[in-house]
Amino acid sequence: MPDDPLQPDPDEDLVARARTGDTRAFDALILKYGEKLYGLVYNMTSHKEDTYDLLQEIFAKAYHSLPKFRGHSSFYTWIYQISVNMTLNFIKKRKRRSGGMSLNDIDSAVQMDPALVDTSHMANPEKQSKLHELQKRLNEAMLSLSEAHRTVVTMFDIQGIPHAEIARILKTSEGTVRSRLHYAHLQLQSKLQDYWE
Amino acid sequence: MKPTVEEIGTLLALKRHERPEEGFLDDFLRDFHQRRRAEEALKTGPAGWWHRLSSWASGLGASKWAYGAGLAYAGVAALFLLSPNSVQVQPTPIAPAMYKVEPAEPLKVEQLDALDWRPSSQGTTGEQEF
Repeated sequence: MPDDPLQPDPDEDLVARARTGDTRAFDALILKYGEKLYGLVYNMTSHKEDTYDLLQEIFAKAYHSLPKFRGHSSFYTWIYQISVNMTLNFIKKRKRRSGGMSLNDIDSAVQMDPALVDTSHMANPEKQSKLHELQKRLNEAMLSLSEAHRTVVTMFDIQGIPHAEIARILKTSEGTVRSRLHYAHLQLQSKLQDYWE
Repeated sequence: MKPTVEEIGTLLALKRHERPEEGFLDDFLRDFHQRRRAEEALKTGPAGWWHRLSSWASGLGASKWAYGAGLAYAGVAALFLLSPNSVQVQPTPIAPAMYKVEPAEPLKVEQLDALDWRPSSQGTTGEQEF
């Protein structure tokens, strides 16, 4: 959903109504972007309860900041910017508080992510177990990345957002996004090499 | 063996299907409105100004201590400057000084003869008799 100056923001009407205090219009925006933002925050924090609380804060901030939203970007880009900034701030605070995140803190749901379980391998317990191990290593490798690298991997590889859009959300150049992705992929490759057949 | 970038991309893309649990957004919306109402009540209530002040202070970061110290200093200075004017000091009546000295009666000759003028009676620094 890139920001095209020729195309009007598809959320323009909902945003305008929400700005006048129409809570139903803002509810519609939450329903529209809630799941996508859940994926973004969850894959960056690896913690369900933190994701829930952060999403509440993100939407509360967006609601209060709506009068300041000038429409220079789409609502989608704007709320993604708020989400990324707030999640990065949260991760930094969590790091300072606990001196870094231990792998024991990772949500068990991430470790046993059903999305990664290939149903065609259900009959093969050995392959299933290897996939679980690989998935666990992938999550560990993701957590070992810096916040900046994890952010671009989450947005590009997991959320499928194009480079140009990521650059707009992160307020950086497309070249920086590509370079961060390249470096992050190299790191993931080396972390997973012992578990790859 | 190293996985290729495409293989890593495929593995990560599987996480794209990750969705919150069923009914997540309904609960989320209900909670969102509850929190917003509580926030509004807090803002309009008597504790509202205190809440705004504390959230303003929490947003200041480390500089809040400098602001706090400055405010405390200004408070003490204001108290010091204003307090002498506010305290009413009652003037105490002053008694007139007694400056008139009454001369004592001069000693009589008989009284002078009765005095012991020997050095031993004049303290330890005088000539002593053994």
